[in-house]
Amino acid sequence: MIETSADTIIAISTPLARGGLGIVRLSGDRALSIARRLFRPRRIPWREIPARSLILGDVYDFQRKELIDEAYLAYLPGPGSYTREKTVEITCHGSPVVLEEVVRLGIRAGARHAHPGEFTLRAYLRGRIDILQAEAVNDLISAVSLQQAKISLGQVRGRLSGIIDELRRQVIRLLSQVEASIEFPEEGLRLSPRPMAKSLNCVISTLERLVSSYERGKTLAEGVTLAIAGKANVGKSTLFNALLNEDRAIVSPYPGTTRDFLRERIKIKESLFNLIDMAGLERPSHPIEKEGIKRGEELASRADGILIILDSSRPEGQADLNLIRKFKDKKAILLFNKSDLPQKMDKPKCQALSRELPRLEISALKGTNLEMLKAMIHATFVTPETKEEEVILHLRQKLLLEQVLGLLQRALSLLKQGHSEEIWAEEIRRALPLIGHLTGEIKVDEIMENIFSRFCVGK
Amino acid sequence: MKNKTFSADLYDVIVVGAGHAGCEAALACSKMGLKTLLITIHLETIAQMSCNPAIGGLAKGHLVREIDALGGVMGILADETGIQFRLLNRSRGGAVQAPRAQCDKALYRLTMKKWLEETPNLTLFQGIVADIIVEAGKVRGLKTLDGNRFDGKAVIISPGTFLNGLIHMGLHSYPAGRANEPAASVLSENLGKLGLKMFRLKTGTPMRLDKHTIDWDAFSPQPGDDEPVPFSFRTGRPLENKIVCYLGYTNARTHEIIRMNLDKSPLYSGIITGIGPRYCPSIEDKVVKFPDRLRHQFFLEPEGLDTSETYVNGLSSSLPYEVQAEALRSIPGLDRAKILRPAYGIEYDAVSPTELRPNLEVNKIENLFLAGQINGTSGYEEAAAQGIMAGINAALKIKGIKPLVLGRDEAYIGVLIDDLVKKGVEEPYRLFTSRAEFRLNLRIDNADQRLIGYGYRLGLIGENDHQRFLEKRGRIKDAMVFLQNEKIRLGNGEKISLKEWLKKPNIGWKDVLEYKKPPMALTSEETRHVEAEAKYEGYLQRQKKEVETMNRVDKLRVPSGFDFNKVAGLTREAVEKLEKSKPRTLGEAKRLSGLTPAALVNLYIGLKPKKRKPEGIKCST
Repeated sequence: MIETSADTIIAISTPLARGGLGIVRLSGDRALSIARRLFRPRRIPWREIPARSLILGDVYDFQRKELIDEAYLAYLPGPGSYTREKTVEITCHGSPVVLEEVVRLGIRAGARHAHPGEFTLRAYLRGRIDILQAEAVNDLISAVSLQQAKISLGQVRGRLSGIIDELRRQVIRLLSQVEASIEFPEEGLRLSPRPMAKSLNCVISTLERLVSSYERGKTLAEGVTLAIAGKANVGKSTLFNALLNEDRAIVSPYPGTTRDFLRERIKIKESLFNLIDMAGLERPSHPIEKEGIKRGEELASRADGILIILDSSRPEGQADLNLIRKFKDKKAILLFNKSDLPQKMDKPKCQALSRELPRLEISALKGTNLEMLKAMIHATFVTPETKEEEVILHLRQKLLLEQVLGLLQRALSLLKQGHSEEIWAEEIRRALPLIGHLTGEIKVDEIMENIFSRFCVGK
Repeated sequence: MKNKTFSADLYDVIVVGAGHAGCEAALACSKMGLKTLLITIHLETIAQMSCNPAIGGLAKGHLVREIDALGGVMGILADETGIQFRLLNRSRGGAVQAPRAQCDKALYRLTMKKWLEETPNLTLFQGIVADIIVEAGKVRGLKTLDGNRFDGKAVIISPGTFLNGLIHMGLHSYPAGRANEPAASVLSENLGKLGLKMFRLKTGTPMRLDKHTIDWDAFSPQPGDDEPVPFSFRTGRPLENKIVCYLGYTNARTHEIIRMNLDKSPLYSGIITGIGPRYCPSIEDKVVKFPDRLRHQFFLEPEGLDTSETYVNGLSSSLPYEVQAEALRSIPGLDRAKILRPAYGIEYDAVSPTELRPNLEVNKIENLFLAGQINGTSGYEEAAAQGIMAGINAALKIKGIKPLVLGRDEAYIGVLIDDLVKKGVEEPYRLFTSRAEFRLNLRIDNADQRLIGYGYRLGLIGENDHQRFLEKRGRIKDAMVFLQNEKIRLGNGEKISLKEWLKKPNIGWKDVLEYKKPPMALTSEETRHVEAEAKYEGYLQRQKKEVETMNRVDKLRVPSGFDFNKVAGLTREAVEKLEKSKPRTLGEAKRLSGLTPAALVNLYIGLKPKKRKPEGIKCST
């Protein structure tokens, strides 16, 4: 790392999109002196700028000597700001071009572009929030759906921290039992291996539950990936556009128009979907198309769900039937497209082959049954909420928990093999800093405190 | 300041207080060739065991072994005066086994006094120290209450509970350092005037009973080990158990009496403000905090061979004498027991150990060292460990040699002192094995391997002892090679080395002996060492790597003239602290007291070598 946390950093802190207003944030010791070079207050001299007030002025290109935008500046000194550092926020008009220009000027004046999440990281380094909260703040910023925003907010308030705190308490309790029996051999605190194993198992199952909830957390954070599969020219791209409500894919009456694949995010009832439009899954006629199909197939096989689309205005072909066979055991919806045209397909035959798959007749072109389709997509691919608060949102958190799990499982196995306490206690002791990474350090004194509050020990 | 002083003797080091810390400190200094003066309030109570008549136990026994490896005397003295020996946690692995001995208190005291008297360069003096003389931030000597002045290049203060001690028994209290011995109150006041941050702690001691008035049949005997394990590597002779301790229990009636008299407890009526140790609770504490317990255990421990005084381990109290007597009457077997010395609580002053450097020298005052309870610890062993380190470091300071600071990975002594100076204390600090990150390596069986090199180089370990150690180390090395090379075929046909075999639970050196006779004969001490090295091998290797990584980070240099103000995110206090002590490496900064982990992370980030300073990155070798 060449950069240091001593640098003053700058970044656009509102979404990069056309909006009414956009904010550029500067954080670090030099925030104010850098801002001074690119911002000119209108009504008061620079040295009289008060803290925590909105100051009207102009953003000025100090190199080309020209005006960029009319803007407001807010100066937040010292520990009262989000990062706890000196912070300047410049509010301009929300054009990405303008905002990027302000950042460029800031960098010219000596700031460094912030890494993703660096403002939050600084808040963490300065001890304002714990790391779990820091990660949740990141999520809050990038939350693309309300569902996720809700979870993120819960975390900021310490909901996930609460659950991991409970895990922490369990581990402390477990370890203090072992340590007490080691430190005070004459107090009759020694537990036989069986109840020890039982307590260990209890913590292990809590961990397993937390780790497995990661998958659901991932879905919420990244959305459900949905592949549209069908032979060429059955209307995949038309459906893709219809669901997106805009002309994203190039649609043509010629087969093989979509040679690569397209990916877009859509939101249905506050849930996020990554919709993938693929090249037709059949014999390719062109090398580029071949590559497109290969990647499409890979994507389809990794997708969380499939929309199988058939053209019911034509008799079913072998390719259609193969497609149904291929995906009938995945989470999928069978769509008979082009319901607006004369129907020539043997639908009962296709249905029989697809067994339990939900099915729907639509016309992507005319928009027939599209709302119904959206409802069906939501019902089919979004799993019902169980315990929302247990969702683990980050791979990092999951990996940490898996490491803890591994250590405790090893402790259990050593215990069962009949090894001495201090050996398997070592595995639990190693798990402490890992749990500490999630909720803050576990100090030995906490273990001791737990011992003295539970056991009457000492001369 | 210099008027009307009788004595103007110049000493290299003056040690104040001849308890477990002071004696080790004075012996270390004088053995390192320095002219040393040891001042004590009473020559008769040198090395007095103020509380229980025992040395050692978990973590404490470890400390004694380490003190011994450095060349201290606590181990030999405990072996010499021990009357019952036990190795605790025998059924567990080597890392959590520790020796403990019941000692003859009077013999312990007298033997230490004799050894001190026979030590060249060491002078004893009876007096109460009143003031430390400091000029220009540097210690010059001290003055006693009776007006004597002693000049010294360095002063080590180890006053124990005598520093402004106040004894409580029921609602009555009187100033004392130990029952009926004068407190050092003026000294405490003057230490405060030197700008040291003082606070108040509390501890206590149980009653001593007349052994002739105890019905011993009512209690279950707790004999010593069949094969006593000595503390000292230098103790050659076999040890002998001469007494038996006894186990007994309180009962509902006892608890009832205590509960009914809580209003007479200085602790529960709010008279005592000092913080007491939770690991050493008084019986009234136990009854109040654990109301569901139907009984609490206690041990009856003879205080020596030639005395009838019996220590009641577990019934520490500051209740009035009559309540103590009544409580005892409720216990079958003690119903006619006579109290020779009642239990009492004691409050005393301590200096916040965050005032100290890792060499136990006071930050603000050059050549002033503190050791023992004054630093907020409790326990004879914790005191002795600090005593020898303060002695060694005072001597090194005077000789102009860099201090000896033991690492947390190296010794329990390192853990103890690092905890003290870095974290400070709130209640009397006791060492536990749990406090050590590298517990599996900090063992009694390898204390000499870890530390005897230091003791030898300092001149505290003699040539003969060092030679014996080298031979022992050779035997152990041969044994490890033997274990590595010899194979065994298991029941399932698998062929593994004897070392791998030893890693299995319930396999020990004795099984190896039965399987194949090794060329070397090991003592039981060496056997424990070899077993532990085999059983913990994987953990020890990993910890070694962790220590190496840690050391690499620790060695990250702080360039001279480094501007801590430039490190983003450091608080003003952190910058001030860093500027004042000017650490030369990140490791030194880490050892400074009062720096938060966040401050260290910021400093680390601020220090990480940048491209234009390539000389700082030579760490991949």
